[in-house]
Order: sequence, then C-alpha cells, then structure tokens
Amino acid sequence: MTLADASSLRLSLSWVDYALLIIYFATVLGIGIMAKRRVRTSMDFFLSGRSMPAWITGLAFVSANLGATEILGMAANGAQIGMSTLHYYIVGAVPAMVFLGLVMMPFYYGSKVRSVPQFMLKRFGKPAHVVNSIAFAVSNVLIAGINLYAMSIVIEAMLGWPEWVAIVVSAGFVLLYITIGGLSSAIYNEVMQFFVIVAGLVPLTVVGLHRVHGWSGLKEALLNTEGISRLHLSAWQGTGIGDVTNPIGANWLAIVLGLGFVLSFGYWTTNFTEVQRAFSAKNMSAARRTPLIGAFPKLFIPFIVVIPGLIAAATVGNQFADGTLTYNDAIPKLIQMYLPSGVLGVAVTGLMASFMAGMAANVSSFNTVFTYDIWQEYIKPNMPDAHYLRTGRWVTAIGVVVGIGAAFLAAQYGNIMTYMQTLFSFFNAPLFGVFILGLLWKRMTPAAGLWGYVAGIIAPTVVWIAYLRDESLFGSATAETMYGAIYSFLAVMVVSVVVTLFTTPKPVSELKGLVYGVGSIDVKGDVVAGDAAWYRSPALLGTVALALCVALYLPFL
Amino acid sequence: MSQNPSEVPERITLGPEEKEELIRHTRRTDLRRIIGALFLVYGVVVTLMGILDPAADVAKTGGLHINLWSGLGMLVAAGLFFLWDRLAPVPAEDIVASAEAEEIKKAEGEGKLE
Repeated sequence: MTLADASSLRLSLSWVDYALLIIYFATVLGIGIMAKRRVRTSMDFFLSGRSMPAWITGLAFVSANLGATEILGMAANGAQIGMSTLHYYIVGAVPAMVFLGLVMMPFYYGSKVRSVPQFMLKRFGKPAHVVNSIAFAVSNVLIAGINLYAMSIVIEAMLGWPEWVAIVVSAGFVLLYITIGGLSSAIYNEVMQFFVIVAGLVPLTVVGLHRVHGWSGLKEALLNTEGISRLHLSAWQGTGIGDVTNPIGANWLAIVLGLGFVLSFGYWTTNFTEVQRAFSAKNMSAARRTPLIGAFPKLFIPFIVVIPGLIAAATVGNQFADGTLTYNDAIPKLIQMYLPSGVLGVAVTGLMASFMAGMAANVSSFNTVFTYDIWQEYIKPNMPDAHYLRTGRWVTAIGVVVGIGAAFLAAQYGNIMTYMQTLFSFFNAPLFGVFILGLLWKRMTPAAGLWGYVAGIIAPTVVWIAYLRDESLFGSATAETMYGAIYSFLAVMVVSVVVTLFTTPKPVSELKGLVYGVGSIDVKGDVVAGDAAWYRSPALLGTVALALCVALYLPFL
Repeated sequence: MSQNPSEVPERITLGPEEKEELIRHTRRTDLRRIIGALFLVYGVVVTLMGILDPAADVAKTGGLHINLWSGLGMLVAAGLFFLWDRLAPVPAEDIVASAEAEEIKKAEGEGKLE
C-alpha cells in the first residue's frame, strides 16, 4: 500500500480530538483488565471459554475483517473501479457467510475443534494438518505485519509520527491487551471498534454527500471527471464474456466463480481469524447465527466505505490522476478536508481502532493455532493446562515481535492490497476445496486431503508467477487472483479424486459428524432460553440476508 | 474428553448467594453498558463542540452542523444501548448454566484436552 508522500494528509488535531482518542484506548485497556479476571483456563484464553452471545460474536466476525487494508483498500477500489466494488460485499462475502452459518458451522462447532486446522486433523490426519497449521501460522504473521505497516503509514501521514514509532507503539498496545485478556478482550474490542468506526464514517459520508450535492450531484460530478465513465456507476455493465469494459477487468463468470465462489467461500469459511469468533459462541445456535448476524452489517458497510471512495474520485479525482494522491488516500483525504474537531477525533479513533482490531484478530488466531496445533500436538503434548496458557501468552508476544519484523518487510513492497488477495488465493482457496470435497464425499482419503491441498497451493503460485512474467495474461491484478483461485480449486478437485482412487479411505466409524450424512449432528442439544424465538432461526436470517443481497444490486445494475 | 467419565460430577450447582453475586457481576460488565458509556461521553463532548464553536463546523462542511448532529446521534445511540441492556439483560439461567458448565469442564480437565 502506498500513500501520498509529504504532509498533504496531515491533520490538525486539537486537544479535544486527542482526548477522545485517549478515552477510547483507556477503555480498551480497562476491558482487557476486566476480561483477565475471567481467564482461568487455556480454553478461556483462546476461545473465550465458549461463552459469548451471538450478537457479540457476530459483530466481532465482521469486525475482525474490517481492518486497515479493508477500509482503506475498499474505499480505494471505490475511487478506482467504482460500484463494481460492491461485488466484494454482495457476491464476495454475504453468500459465503450464509453458507458458513447454515451448512458448515454444525460440522465445525459440533466436532468441538478449537481451530480450523484441527478440523483438518480430524478429517484427514496428521500430514495434512501439519502443512495446514504451518501455512496458517506463517500467513497470519505476514498479514499481521501488513496490517501493522498499513497502520503506521496512515498514522505517519495523518499525525506526523515517524513510521517506526507508530509501528512499535501500536504493536505494544495490541500485545498488552491480548496478553492480558486473551480472546475475550480482542472480541470485546472488535465490537466496540465496530461502533466507533461507524460513528466516524457516517458523518464523513454525510458531509461528503452534502459537499457534492447529494447522490445525483455525485453522479454528475463523476461523469465530468477525467478517466471516469458511467461504467463506474454500474456493477454489472461491461462484464460480458469477451467484451470486458468494466473497470474491474473481469467477466461475470470470473466474478461469480472466482470471487464469489472460490475466493470468498474459501476466505469466509476457512479463515480461522474470522471463524474463531464463531467458535467462541456460547452454544450451537449462537455459533450458527454468528456469521448470519455478521452478514447484515456487512451489507451496509459499502455505504460508508465505497461511497466515500466515489466522493473522493469526484472531488479530488484530478489529484489521483496526476499522482499527488494515491487511491489509498481516499478516506484520509476526505477526513482531512471535511471533518471539524470533534467528529474528527471520533473518525481518527475509529481508524486507529480498526487497524488494531485487524492486527489483534490475526495475532489471537495465530497464537491459538500455534499453541494448540503445533506446540501441543507435535512439540510438547500432555502438559498441564497452565503450561499451554503460559505458552499462549509467550506466543502472543513472539507473534507481535515477528509481526513487527514482517511490517518492516512489507515496507519494502509496493502494492499491499493485491499482495493480500494473492495470499488468500494461495491459502484459502485450496483449503476450501479440500474441506468441501471432504465434507460431501466420505470416500475421500487422508492422502487425497494432503496432496489435493498441496496441489491447490502450487497451482495459484504458478498462475501468479506466470502473471508476473507476462502481465498481458489477465485484465488486472484483481482478475489474476480470481483466476488463480479457480485454478487452485480445480487442482484440488482433480488431484484429490485421482489420489482417492488409489489409496484407502478412513473407516466410516471415524467420520461421524465430519462428513455430510455420516452420523448426525445435534444442533439442538445445548439450546438455552430464547433460542427458539422465530427471529433467531438461522434459516430465516440466511434467507433475509440473501434477499437483501439481490435488493442492494438493483439500484446499481 | 476425559478418560474416566465416572469421576466427573453430573451437575455442579452453585449456592444462591454465589449465583446472585455471579449474575450481578456479569451484568455489571455487560458490553452494552460499556459501549453505552463510551458513546455517552463521546456524545457529550462532540455535542458541546457543536454548540460552542458552530462556525468551525460550517467552515469545514459547507453548511452542515455536523458536530451537533453527530453528537446528538451518539447520545441517542448511548440511550439505545442502555435501553437494550435494561430491557433484555443476560438471562440469569444462561449465566448460571455457563458458569456451571465451566465448573464441570474444569472438573473434567477439559483444559488439558485428551
């Protein structure tokens, strides 16, 4: 990610704005200390003792994804490719969240696994589990570093702190509240951060729309901006096969299959950073509702992220064109131009909080996977619980330190957003392929799980290298990640089926609750008062979310 | 999870005083109250900014009293969080059940895992 140089984004914060910032972070520490009193076992530290109500885990589910790169990156996309950015939310997130809640969560929560790699272990055995755990741990530390770096350059641009000070101070703060309060503390802060970022972005959007004279004024201003056509205002026009003129650079099939099916299902159903939030829900019903409740705010986030991106394109489009600003500057620039002291403090607090929440989410899932899946499984098994609790705290510290290293590494590279998408096509797409086949097909063997997964990592790597050598292969870097994900998924399918034909499957008795139709999962065994209310029905919540998806596209066809 | 399920107590019941203390503590630290309190403070500060220096608002926003409106909005949000907490507190039986389940898990040695 690159931001504008110099001090063109520098804010003038008054003492009131700083006071709002300090109040927020004092509250965060207070929550950490409060949560600490409840942490007694390693289960409390890593999975919040499985005690959270669904509205909290649901908002945390969305919030864990609402980090630095998400907010700035999606606003940047809004400025650059316009309304097509909606695909990331409508095709690329909500259907997968509904699928997770309705179809996959019973397997996950019902099998009492503590992490996504542990599900791999139960279904496919140790070799696949080792590869998965290590891949997950590595990718999460890298992503934590990216979040940290992104945060530091924004703090540098907006507040004028040197980059390394920003990195060390924010990493130290995340370390402090996670080591104290564990996952509960991370989750509570994600929920609080969600409301603060909304409280900052809503006034920004309102003022922005006021400045460009409303929605129709915005459309008019955009059409008068150099390099922007009416295709920016349409999500689907210009995505015909063989006739791609839409700025997203991909046809509808690639959008639906690559982004909508493989990438997004892969990300939302297997990325433990988000899924862990559902694992900490208090019972099966709450776990299933977690992604479903998260789907509703997800549908409305584009209004306060993508629309500011469009407003930036309309108002400072000339500065994007001549290189004074980069697209990533869209939101920071609008904050600087439009917000007076007061709401300015709230918006800056919201941004800083969302950066930290993104990083905290990576760190808290990294320490769970490292402690349970690597340390306890292969390095030091059969130790007392206190040992793992202590290990978890140490691993958090080490993860943050390595994350700082990764942040300085990320500082060497240019475009972070695409780099992240590429990482997802490497790690999440194949995992989804393996899981979905393994869930539906009881004959699939452990060896097929391992080799299908490995092939699914190699395939997108090859596509990516080919693209680096010859950029004319795909319409845009975004399109490359979509095709990479499709090839990854196909590689998993082909290799898994072939390997299965030549190896022995697990006995059916070991697959109870892990494969569709083998044994039954008790989804009602742990119901509590109120779960039966009609508005808490997972099927209803899922249907309404999908209907809203369709409705939201209608104005932007 | 446990190797000897026979040692695990079927049910652990807490005494009435323990229960009451637990319920009071859990409800006091309800996240809705914390968020409500945060927005109450934010709402007061931002509204005051809007009242004390309206010219600064209008200059930046081109005519909108954004601090005033956002501040009032946050006060309403704070009120709604407090109201939600008041109308639908965490059910007492949920708190007790979750605490008892935790006690049973500890007795099982759930934390130790397999």
